[in-house]
Amino acid sequence: MMRWVVLGVSALLVIALAVAVGPARIPIATVAENLVGRGDSTSLAIVRELRLPRALLAFAVGGCLAVTGAVLQALVRNPLADPYLLGLSGGAGLAAVLAIAFRLGGAWAIPAAAFVGALAAITLVYRLALVSGAVLDTRVLILAGVVVSAFTGALLGAAASLSSAAELRNAMLWLLGGFDAASWRAFRVFVVYAVVPLGLLFYWSRPLDLLSLGEEPAQFLGADVERLKRLLYVVASLLTAACVAVSGVIGFVGLVIPHAIRMIWGHAHRTLLPAAFLLGGTLLTGADAVARTAFAPQELPVGVVTALVGVPAFAVLLRRWAK
Amino acid sequence: MSRSLLSSERARDFPEAESVSVLRCCVLAVVIGLGACASEESQQREGVFDDLGRFVTLDRPAQRIVSLSPATTELLFAIGAGDLMVGRTRWAEYPPAALDVPNVGDGLDPNVELIAAQQPDLVVFYASPSNAQAIELLDRLGIASVNVRMDSLGSVPRAARLLGGLSGTGSRADSMANAFQVRLDSARGASGIGSGPRVMILSWDNPPIIIGALSFLSQLLGLAGAMNVFADVERPSATVTMETIAERNPELVLLVGGNELPEFAERPEWQVVRAVRERRFVRVEGSEFSWPTFRALEAVGRLRAALVAARQ
Repeated sequence: MMRWVVLGVSALLVIALAVAVGPARIPIATVAENLVGRGDSTSLAIVRELRLPRALLAFAVGGCLAVTGAVLQALVRNPLADPYLLGLSGGAGLAAVLAIAFRLGGAWAIPAAAFVGALAAITLVYRLALVSGAVLDTRVLILAGVVVSAFTGALLGAAASLSSAAELRNAMLWLLGGFDAASWRAFRVFVVYAVVPLGLLFYWSRPLDLLSLGEEPAQFLGADVERLKRLLYVVASLLTAACVAVSGVIGFVGLVIPHAIRMIWGHAHRTLLPAAFLLGGTLLTGADAVARTAFAPQELPVGVVTALVGVPAFAVLLRRWAK
Repeated sequence: MSRSLLSSERARDFPEAESVSVLRCCVLAVVIGLGACASEESQQREGVFDDLGRFVTLDRPAQRIVSLSPATTELLFAIGAGDLMVGRTRWAEYPPAALDVPNVGDGLDPNVELIAAQQPDLVVFYASPSNAQAIELLDRLGIASVNVRMDSLGSVPRAARLLGGLSGTGSRADSMANAFQVRLDSARGASGIGSGPRVMILSWDNPPIIIGALSFLSQLLGLAGAMNVFADVERPSATVTMETIAERNPELVLLVGGNELPEFAERPEWQVVRAVRERRFVRVEGSEFSWPTFRALEAVGRLRAALVAARQ
């Protein structure tokens, strides 16, 4: 119980911090005024239309990445699994870069293209993983993910060397990940989309526990392993695709947060998944606040900060856990 | 006043000026030492230091030149060395005659084989560490290289004198450089810096990338009487947060090339920036806004007119 309170309070604190700090120096009292809808128009817009949706979107994306990471680690029973292991980021990145190279119009061209590219990569990996017959072999799934990544990476390299350099560098920057495009509309779309897959993954906590024991024990214990594996893969990937569409490819959160929770909290998915959601959201929101303010007015890629802050914290955790 | 402004800008053109000059002294000492005891031939050889501090010597003015940046390609044509050109880069499209010169691909980390196939006696590189390997390979093939950094208006006359000396068009290059310098100085005096609108030069919208103080575009803006709201960013360009843009609240958004009404103007997060919300965009087009050239002062005139029109 105490742990949930700590997690919940730190989540609220980090969101409050992310709204309170930023490159525009707005006094804390003004921020509070702005939050209830008073104050001058510039700071009001910064606090209510930029900082608040950005903090909430970062939290939601961080949470979803941590949950999909935990699920995929259980599914393929590989501690190195993360949301992008299965070729999804390459597909999204390639589609985004092509959208820029071919100057696809529309304000939402890049996120839409990234989403479609991720879905295409998911489908391709899924088809490849099923070549050995009706059974979804998770080892083949990993291999399929790796070869699809290599292929999209090669196409990305080809596009990079053939199209105009500056635009491509900018597309790569987008791919590095960040929440510059955060808005209430992006947050609403993301939340409406993410609720169902996230709920399903939480709902499958018990079968996930069985699956992480191994496929045969899970089968003995009554899980419909084949169906479960396919559903988990598809649902987790659909959730990651939405994360990529709103924020690019942000590493580290989906890889390390699940391990951190397992170390301090054990392996039961019924607690692991919600706790990973809270801690993942907290880390990513905090990292984004640092990325915005550390070198203001310039901004760091948020993935750089998640790794810079997260790796030392994880190392400390690892040492304590090993004792 | 304009004098001191100028010298500080020159210092900025050469961030490593001090180390280069130390290097120059050492190299000079060696050269003088060699000259004192070496054969007559080496005494006759003349040379220049390029923008990476390398000493470049040619037995005779270059006859076949490959230029690996659009800026130096345009400059070579301007100083009358265009007919010596045997290679240009992919995006070098000014003057139109440059398009008749064979294309050797990219300028950074270039294709040495394609360059060597043109049998040049001088290859003009953009001064960048990423070209070190190509320069070494060309050295081994006996092909001379020179590094030219063109990233500010002050670098135009300097590069003209440097390339004029190497291509045998020195007197024309010198007079063009001098004339440009005079016009540039008087434009600086007349620009009335800061009296015009506060402008953001936007290079990319997601993530937002703005043009900072070290880009020649920022200089053009200053000469047109306007102020870059990101003049404190001591880089050619930088990624910044939307919040900073909203706070700095530029009057106008300057876009180089692109659409009349950019697509990002429709996105919700950009509505926080007033100039975007009110669609106050200024758009200029043309290669004179892509790299520093002798045409810069005409570009300033066009930019000033566009700013005035947008403000009304």
